[in-house]
Amino acid sequence: MKPKLLGTLRRRGPVNVFLVALAATIFSVALAASGLAQIKMEIVGPGSRQFQIAISALKDLGADPNHAISDDFVWVLRRDLTLSSFFKIISPEAYIEDPQQSGYKLGEFNFDDWSSINAEFLVKGAVYQDQGKLALEVYLYDVVQRRQALGKRYLGSRDKVAEMARRFADAILEVTTGQRGPFDSKIALVSTGGGRFKEIFTMSVDGRDIYRVTNNNTINLFPSFGRDPNELLYTSYKSGFPALYLVDLAHGREIEIRSRDGEIVDGALSPDGRTIAASIAQSGATNIYLLDRSGTILRTLTHTNSINVGPAFSADGQMIAFTSDRAGTPQIYLTSVNGGPVRRLTYRGDYNTTPAISPKGDRVAYQSRNGNKFDIYLISIKGGEPTRLTNDDASNQHPSWSPDGRYIVYSATRNGSSRLYLMLVETGKIVSALTEGNSYDSSPTWSWWLAQ
Amino acid sequence: MIQVRRGRGGWRNKKVNSAALIFAFLAFALVPSGCSSKKNAAQAGAASSGAPSTLGEQGLTGPSSSSLAQFQRGTLGRSRDTSPLADIHFDFDDYTVRPQDSEILRRNAQWLEAHGNPRVQIEGHCDERGSEEYNIALGAKRAQAAKDYLVTLGVPADRLSTISYGKELPLCTEHTEECYALNRRAHFVVLQ
Repeated sequence: MKPKLLGTLRRRGPVNVFLVALAATIFSVALAASGLAQIKMEIVGPGSRQFQIAISALKDLGADPNHAISDDFVWVLRRDLTLSSFFKIISPEAYIEDPQQSGYKLGEFNFDDWSSINAEFLVKGAVYQDQGKLALEVYLYDVVQRRQALGKRYLGSRDKVAEMARRFADAILEVTTGQRGPFDSKIALVSTGGGRFKEIFTMSVDGRDIYRVTNNNTINLFPSFGRDPNELLYTSYKSGFPALYLVDLAHGREIEIRSRDGEIVDGALSPDGRTIAASIAQSGATNIYLLDRSGTILRTLTHTNSINVGPAFSADGQMIAFTSDRAGTPQIYLTSVNGGPVRRLTYRGDYNTTPAISPKGDRVAYQSRNGNKFDIYLISIKGGEPTRLTNDDASNQHPSWSPDGRYIVYSATRNGSSRLYLMLVETGKIVSALTEGNSYDSSPTWSWWLAQ
Repeated sequence: MIQVRRGRGGWRNKKVNSAALIFAFLAFALVPSGCSSKKNAAQAGAASSGAPSTLGEQGLTGPSSSSLAQFQRGTLGRSRDTSPLADIHFDFDDYTVRPQDSEILRRNAQWLEAHGNPRVQIEGHCDERGSEEYNIALGAKRAQAAKDYLVTLGVPADRLSTISYGKELPLCTEHTEECYALNRRAHFVVLQ
């Protein structure tokens, strides 16, 4: 299964944001694990040892006769665990037992069938109907210690199977590494969908579950999430002038925030969703203001006659990184939401923009111009020498951090088309292409976890 | 190669309401000859040639279209712009009015005064290099610089509004210096 094209989505016609509301959340129940002693693995650098894991097909208990649900679940789980870099998945061809014949609960199968193929971990589970809902009961077994490491039951509709797999992948990563995985989340982006208008979409981290947020044939830019993945802020020219729009993705309601005295450039939603950092142009100068949700200015965060744009909150909501040309060229600066002093962060390069603060607050990713293209760089929040993360023939822009801080999603532009890629920050390697085709996909922004 | 396609010859038919027609007629009657800009004269276009006494004809000036409206119609950079006011252009990452463009602004100011100072929206645009958000702020500076210049020429400030489209509405999409230079512009839209 390949990531879907945003271009193909467009042909299916607009998806009303109301549809998002109909896609009900899935319910998960943690199943009592026998002995909760967790194995934790230190998150160390690249090249560290990988766990050998077997992912067995799910046993059909009446709800999955053609095993399509199992295939879907296993595909997403395999992908996400592979992306994590912590697991090596043992090929199903090596599996000895028949998942449809053997049991899936502790004591109902033989660990020897798995230790003999060198599996250190094993995923088993079953699919059945429970009170009219689809139920996936899944377990992670520690084959070495012959015990259950994790058990979950997910209840929901058929279209939630991939989300269940993402959530289970995150839980597996949490129980094995101590750090919850980032896959049960979504990415908002700007895409032309193969046409010429930039519209806002959201999609899952595997490029599926694509929803169209805007469909107004104007210009829509700069999607921004707070902690609530159902709320999205963006800039649009749909009313004939640039304004900010705060859309409730679950119910389709939208608030328009316009500036009476100036011109909105862009905005970022604070993690708690209560405030917005917006850059507003007035008499030629663009400054950053802290607004409440009605657009009332609470505080002026920059006061220059130059350009101050691209505000990005830290995860604790206390700090804002932004771009300013106050010293002559665009550089990255930091300030407090309380309006404290402004500190310049970057000194290398003559065009640094589009900062994103890591979830831990220790680093800032940004784009820096090299000739006629951009590359993604990392710099400590304390400053110092930046690290270059991308170095290829594309123009690499718009870095955004995963909620666990291990990945950056960004756009790479080549020959007029632009696609999204996932990079594992610790290696600087692309681990996945998220979109493909001739669409122009840009400005990805990664949400917080869907299940809070 | 700059890939700005001009119109397929001739002056596009445009719906003009009667009020605009009367306004334009009066305007024509009042404009001293030689005052209209080169671009405007070019748009008048259809005046017959060769005959010793020609029938006077001028393109009628209704409200012109914003770049966004042209982009929505798919005509931006592809057909002749309808604005009677000529664009000015900027150097890379710069927003100061170039000396060679001051004459264009002077003609634009004269046209506005001659036409009763209609409301004008000044659009600031950038080339494709640079980040989206920085370019919108830069476009705002360009539009403001053009506005400030027109005000010094006597155009009432309250008739002039600004909007920046950053690099979102290029006239030309080739990745060449010529194309970039064409896209770094302030465009003047007569609102009516």
